[in-house]
Order: sequence, then structure tokens, then C-alpha cells
Amino acid sequence: MARRDSLAGYLFIAPQLIGIIAFVLLPLCLVFWYSLHEWNVLANTFTYTGAQNYRMLLEDSSLPSVLGATALFSFGLVVLNMSLALLLAVLLNQKLRGIAVFRTLFFSPVVVSLVAWTIVWGFLLQKNGGINGMLLTVGIEGPNWLREPVTAMISVIVVQVFKNVGLNMILFLAALQGVPNELYEAARIDGASSFKQFRRIMLPMISPTILLTSIITIVGSLQVFAQIAVLTQGGPGVSTTVLVYYLYQQAFQFHFFGYGSTLSIMLFVIVAVLTFAQWQLRKRMVFYES
Amino acid sequence: MSNHISLKSCVAALAIGLSLTVFGNASAQNAVKLRMTIWSANEAHLKLFNDMAAGFKQTHPNVTVTYESLPFETYTTALTTQIAGGNAPDMAWIFETTAYDFVSSGALYPLGDKLAALKGYNLDEVSSGATERWSKDGKLYAYPFSTSPFAVFANNDLIRKAGAKTPAELIKSGEWTWEKAIETASAVGKTGKGGLIVRDFNYQNWQNLAAIWNGWGASPWSEDGKNCTFGEKPMTDALSFIHDAVFKNKAMPGPGENMDFFAGDAAMTITQISRASLLPKQNGFEWDLVPLPTGPAGEYALIGQAGIGVMQSSAHADIAADFVGYMTNPENSAKLAQFFPSARKSLLNAETLKKTNPLLSQEQLDKVVIAGISTGKVIPGHTGFAQIQQMVRAGLDSIWTPQTDIAAATQKICGQISPLLKR
Amino acid sequence: MKAELSPRAKVMVYGAMCVLLIPFVFPTWWMVTSSFKPVSEIFAFPPRLIPDSWDFTTYGQVFTLQPFAKQYWNSAYIAAIVTVGTMGISSMAGYAFARIRFPFANAIFMVVLLGLLIPSEVTIVPLFQLFLKLGMVNTHWPLILVPIFGAPSVFATFVMRQFFISLPAELEEAARVDGLSRFKIFTKIALPLSRPALASVAIFTFLHSWNLYLEPIVFLSSADKFTLPQALTQFTDAYGGPMWNIQLAAATLTALPVLIVFIIAQKHFVEGLAHTGLKG
Repeated sequence: MARRDSLAGYLFIAPQLIGIIAFVLLPLCLVFWYSLHEWNVLANTFTYTGAQNYRMLLEDSSLPSVLGATALFSFGLVVLNMSLALLLAVLLNQKLRGIAVFRTLFFSPVVVSLVAWTIVWGFLLQKNGGINGMLLTVGIEGPNWLREPVTAMISVIVVQVFKNVGLNMILFLAALQGVPNELYEAARIDGASSFKQFRRIMLPMISPTILLTSIITIVGSLQVFAQIAVLTQGGPGVSTTVLVYYLYQQAFQFHFFGYGSTLSIMLFVIVAVLTFAQWQLRKRMVFYES
Repeated sequence: MSNHISLKSCVAALAIGLSLTVFGNASAQNAVKLRMTIWSANEAHLKLFNDMAAGFKQTHPNVTVTYESLPFETYTTALTTQIAGGNAPDMAWIFETTAYDFVSSGALYPLGDKLAALKGYNLDEVSSGATERWSKDGKLYAYPFSTSPFAVFANNDLIRKAGAKTPAELIKSGEWTWEKAIETASAVGKTGKGGLIVRDFNYQNWQNLAAIWNGWGASPWSEDGKNCTFGEKPMTDALSFIHDAVFKNKAMPGPGENMDFFAGDAAMTITQISRASLLPKQNGFEWDLVPLPTGPAGEYALIGQAGIGVMQSSAHADIAADFVGYMTNPENSAKLAQFFPSARKSLLNAETLKKTNPLLSQEQLDKVVIAGISTGKVIPGHTGFAQIQQMVRAGLDSIWTPQTDIAAATQKICGQISPLLKR
Repeated sequence: MKAELSPRAKVMVYGAMCVLLIPFVFPTWWMVTSSFKPVSEIFAFPPRLIPDSWDFTTYGQVFTLQPFAKQYWNSAYIAAIVTVGTMGISSMAGYAFARIRFPFANAIFMVVLLGLLIPSEVTIVPLFQLFLKLGMVNTHWPLILVPIFGAPSVFATFVMRQFFISLPAELEEAARVDGLSRFKIFTKIALPLSRPALASVAIFTFLHSWNLYLEPIVFLSSADKFTLPQALTQFTDAYGGPMWNIQLAAATLTALPVLIVFIIAQKHFVEGLAHTGLKG
């Protein structure tokens, strides 16, 4: 029985596993192989250079600011995304008439094409665009959002958050609705305030969801590319050049496929380490395991 | 779906194989498929190109040419991805800015001798100024099928409404200088409309500013491309002038301000003459087309180019070269010229141009098009341009603020790009 | 929290939600209305909430400038195949990882999870070479095969695994005693129970495929094979300048059907997720 079960197990996972080997592991190995080469696409030369591209990582004077921008972007994105998602989920978890309409509207950007969403925000964030137009009606002269380093970073984060926060919001909402009502009632009888209920009951109960969504969000934040390409092209200066955009520039715009591959490997290592660290943290942070 | 197609092509291959054995005429019957990557998806363009492919088929019945429209914005990226993946096209359009990369890398098939030898092709009538960017060591590697001068479009309605002098009036009184042009732009800019727009610049594509700074005799790097000249006086003067125009005189829309001349939002725009087709067909405004104003360094002109190259890696590079020769022979060049101005001298007369540019007057064609193409400098380019472009863009960003130190910014730019220029 | 709120609290919650809604709704509103504006009005400052003059010709042009109907079909059928395929592959794999004990299961699961961690920019060049060797460049195969079998389906597998873990084991025990094979247990018992999880997998997968941007750009080159996000960027004038109002019309056409489907299905979607036991 056990042997037959093992066989069944392997058969069940075979399509997925073969796919991962063919479309993830094999390409990843090839990327590593490229990273050991200098590859000039136009001249059609592909020369083995050993660890030279990796030494270049250390000498690349742009890399510190790129990593800084990446950290800032990911941190800002995760914090804003998670807190907004949680806030929306708590608001939507009320028994109110018409709540489904709100739920739909908050979720709607998720289904709008990313390219369209970003192009529209690109318009709205112009100096003479929609955002500043609205601010003007209440007497505020808005900044030149995409042209100043600080506001440009805020802009790309916020645009991304509004686009995708709906997903996390729904996940939180689902988790909140899974919290047994009796727990709240018990707390209310004990005279706990709303905030206390939130901190003592809700947060611990949904902490596994928080962990999972935070992992997905962090991993996702390190892969944000099209938004930056459309909105700021990494500028002003290099203030919004995050790692994946820098990688794209090196490989596809400057044609340094070898060095681009090296950056890919670095990005992969960063994502893997972060995810592993979070997974470890879960033992301490997550109060409740199903 | 796709199974279907491959089945079909198998049958087709089989049929060709059969016909070969039957008729035994291998070389003439070999089906040749050629693919050209282009950045236009315009219907009228494609129709013209397909007509040319059909025309070529009459003399080369075994050759089929197809065109692949890649998105304009990411054109070079998409093209190099194809090349990297081992799926290079047989022929490709190339931007003037990246021309040096393609020409110097050895990726292109040397076209020059082939074209020169074609009957009636008359390569010599293409000025050496126009082919310079596309040649290396005296060999032509891509044919510049489009040589389009930059000029100033003006919205005379807006300018008069602001009580300023139109370019035509300034030209008449011999005052068509940058100084005066900016005065006019500023007058309109202060009414809330846009002054002068350098089209497609958007505080990103700084190479288009050459349309202004060439009037100061400025250039980003030396003639041989080895030394950075951003920090030199002509360039800093020109940049100060532009900076004042933007931030002091409101004569140019600032960074992050979207305006469209062709929608009637601005007094003037600098762009290539081919954009005349964007002028509104109804509810339009009174417009004019004039040459670039004179700068402190005198009169000047600027052109943008686009080339067609044959990829060295193509299995049928020689046939592809024949096709490029057909597509750009004098007769077809005249047809192309309705969209892409030709650098052929025989086509550079007002009579021929009038046919393909019905919107422009005789005088405009003489002064702007013919003079521009024959005397214009090509907008800046360099090997490794994408990287240099990006570094300069990042460096210039610090200039596009009200308070700035232009000398320091340009010094910094030079510090960053010098190693790349020397490479 | 589930108790009825006081009227004052209700007003506050409604008010907060209305303010928060602005950045979510305004861009879409602007996209839809601007698709009816002439270009000059799109750039008007301050922006207009409702067009001064309505231009309905943009929607016609969407279909004449590009084979948009064909592109619509491409996106729709690719997304449909990917969704169904992913549901199959990931529910099988998720079930095995959750319920079947076999050697190296955990190690293999970790390997599969790698797929979650790799941005598609990283592997696009080798994938391009692979599909070129297979003769599948400029076909829809890469856009179908990679999402179903490759990295994008890993998240689905993960969701399904979490769901099956939370399923009480007793449900299967009886069937096993009856001598049903694993496959039968899976199809007859586990799969029908997993409908809510499958529903959320379906929606995630469909959206992912519908919005895919980088891959179509790299793999497809002829306009009649394009997918919608790629087609959106193709509405340009003869010189590559974007035709904004037509792009926005096309973007509206791209977004609306998905939005409508979501509005109809959203109740099931949220409840589906609530049952997935997506709890880490």
C-alpha cells in the first residue's frame, strides 16, 4: 500500500515537477552559466570570464544606490500595502448595507490591466495632472510628483499599492471572517475595547495570513518592473532604479547579458534569503497554526 | 491551431521537395523567407512595404518578405532579445542613436558594394553626410532610408492672441534668433498655454535638445566620440539658456507638464517635418513651418535618421541585401519619401517633395526640407548609447529644477560618462 | 466586531470608505471617460471629470487600427486554457503534497516553491532560447505552457496544498477502507470538496494570464497573435507617438469584461477564499 501510495504521489506531482525543472530550474542554471560569461549579443561573442562579473558587482558604483532604492521601495510597499489591506479588511468586515459594492470597488484595480493602470497614473501624477488638479481645488499646490526623488519613490509605491492591495485585502477579509464570533463576544463581555479586541484577538487569529501575505508581497515587491518603466524610468537621477529594473537595463537595454545574469542571480539569492528568514520568523511571530 | 500550421508547412515543404526532384532546378526554386523588423505599425506604411515585397517577388518569385512590427518604445530591446535568443531577423530597422552599436559590432552585412553594383541604384547621389553614421572604414553597413530634418511648427493663432511676433514676421525682419523665439514662446507661455515644446524630449530623451544646443555649437562629446564636452562653455551656455527658458520665462513646459502642440496647446514645437501629418484635420489652427532659429553660433540644422541593415547572421544575407536595394532604389525611395524623407539628391527638389508633402508650401520645402537635409547634423549617437543616454539623463535630472548649478552637474556627467566614451 | 454598529459608527465607516475609495476608483473613471475625449481634452488642466465633447469614434478605431477582436480572442482563450490547466495541475500536485506520504515530498515541495521566488525577467532569455529550439516562438504555446507547468502555477499549488491540509482526514478514510484508488479518492472526494479553493485559484490564474505583459512582448511578434496588454501599447501614430484616447478606449475594453465578471462572481470569490484555509 505504502509503495503504491508513493507511486501515486510521484505521479500526482510529476506534471508540476517536470514543469518546474524545464521552466524554472533549467533556465536558472543557464542564467548562472551566462553569468560566468561576457556575452555581446550584437557581435555574437560569448566568452568565458569566470568570476569577473561577480567581481564587477563589488566595483559597480551604481549598485549601492540601486540596492538602497530597492530596500526603500520594498519596505515602503510592504508596510503600506499590509496596513492598508488590514484597514480595508476591518472596515469591510462590518455588517453594513451595500458593503459588497465597496468590496468590489476596492478590488477593482486588481482586474484592470497593469499597463493601463500605470499609464493612467502616469497622466494623473504629472505636474499639471489630475492629482494636482484635485489638490488645487482645496487650495494646495501639489509637488511635481514624478520629478523629485522623494515624491517619485512615494508615487511608484502608492501606485503599486492601490493596484494590488485588493488581493491582500480579500485574503485578510477571508481570514477575518474565519475568526469565530464567540471570541469577540467573550471579549466584549469581559469589557475589552474595540482596539483591544483588534490587538488581542483579531491580529493573533489572522497572523498566519499576515505572514503568508507578507511573504508574497515582499517577493512581489522585488519583481516590480513595468510600473517603474512607465512612470519614472528609474529617475529622477537613479532614485527609483530598483534591482529588477537595473537588471533589465543592463541585460536588455545595454546588452550586457552576462552582467545582467549576474544581477539576476543576486536578486534570486536576496529573495531566497528573505523568504527563508521570514519562514523562520514564523515560529516566533505566528500565534496560531491551523 | 499551431499543429495545423506546422502540418501545412510540412506539406508545403514536401511539395517543394517533390517539385525539386521533378524539375531538378534546385537553386531557382528554393523558397526563401525574409523577415524585416520595423517599429511602425502604421497601416499606410505596411501597405506600402507589402507592395514592395510583392514587387520584389515579380523578379524573385521564390522570395517572400514579411514585416514584423515591434513596439516603438522597446524596439531595440525586443530586437536584441530576438538576436540573443538566436532568432535574429534577416533585416532590421535601426535608430540613428544605436547605429554605432550595430555598425561597429559586426552584426551587419556590408551592404555598400552590393548596393553600388545594382543597376540604376546610383548610391553616389546619397550624400556622405547622410551615410556617415552608417559606415565604418568606408563601408556602408546600413542604408539610411529616412533622413528627416527638425524644424519649428508654429501656431500663429495662439501667438497673435498673446500679442507676440510670429516666426514668419521675425524671419521677415531678419530676427529669427533663439533670443526672439523664446520671447514669443514666453509671451504665449504666460497666457497659460504652452510656449515651445521640444517634442519627444519629455526631460528624458535629451539628445533631442541638440535641436537647440547645436545653435550654440555645443555637443555632448567630441567629434571622434572620445572626450566628453558637456562641461565646455557652449554646452553650459546652451543649457543655461534652456534652463532660463523653462524656469524663468515660462517659455517651455517644465518637467512633468504634459502639453501637445498638435492639439493646439502650445505656440511652437520642434520636431521632424514628417509630423506634419499630425496637424488637426478639422477645427485646426493657422500653422506655419519654419527652420530652426539661429543661435549664437549662427545657422544650423539637425536631422534624425533611420537605417535598414541586413543581419550578418541571416542565411540569405545576399538576397536580403538585394531586397534592401530594391526597396530603396530611386523609384521606391520616391514612394517611401511620403513618410520617410530621402537623402537622395535627385529627390531633393521642391517639385518631387511637393507631391509627397502636399501640406507644405514651396518655400517651406526649400528652406526647411532641402536645406535641412543637405546641411544638417545627425542627432548625437555613440557606441554603447543606451548606457550613456541613461547616465546623462540621470545626471541632467538635477538641472531640471528651479535652483541648480549647471557647471557642477555637467562636470559630474562628464566624470561618469568619460570612461564609457573611451571604451 | 460582527455586532451591529451604532448609527454614528456606521456613518464614520461609510465616510472613511468613501474617502479611501477615491484613489481606487478615480483612475478607472478617468480612463473610461478620457477614452471619449479628444486628445486635447485629455491634457486639459485641471482635468475634466466628464468630457466636454464626446468622441465615440475612438472605439471604432480600436478595431480598425489593430486586429483587436482577434487579440481579444487570443487573450481570452489563452487565459481560459491556462486557468483550466493550472487548476488541474495544481490541484493534483497540491493534493499529493498535502495528503500523500512519499519519500522526499518535503524536499520536492521546497524545490517547487523556488518557482515563487524567481522574477520572470530572470529566466526570460533562456526560456526564449528553449522555445525557439522547439519552434514555438511567435506561437501561443509559451504563454500557455509556462504558466500551467512553470513558476506561475506554483502559487496555485501552494493554495491547493493549504486547502487539502485543512480537509479532515476522516473523509478519505472511509473511501480508503472501501479500497478506492488514490486517483479515485482524489477525483471523487477531494476535488469536489475543493471547489472554493479551486474558484480562487481560477480567478488568480485568469487575472495573471490576462495581464501578462513581458512574455507576450518577448515571444510574440505578429499583430494577429498579440494579447491585449501588448496590443494596448501598439496604438501609436506613424512615428511611435501614442494615440492616447484610443489607447484608453482599448484599455477600457480590456478591463470592463473582467470587472463585470468579477462583480457577478465576487461573492463566490470572497467566500471561496474564506474557505481556502490560506493560513500559512
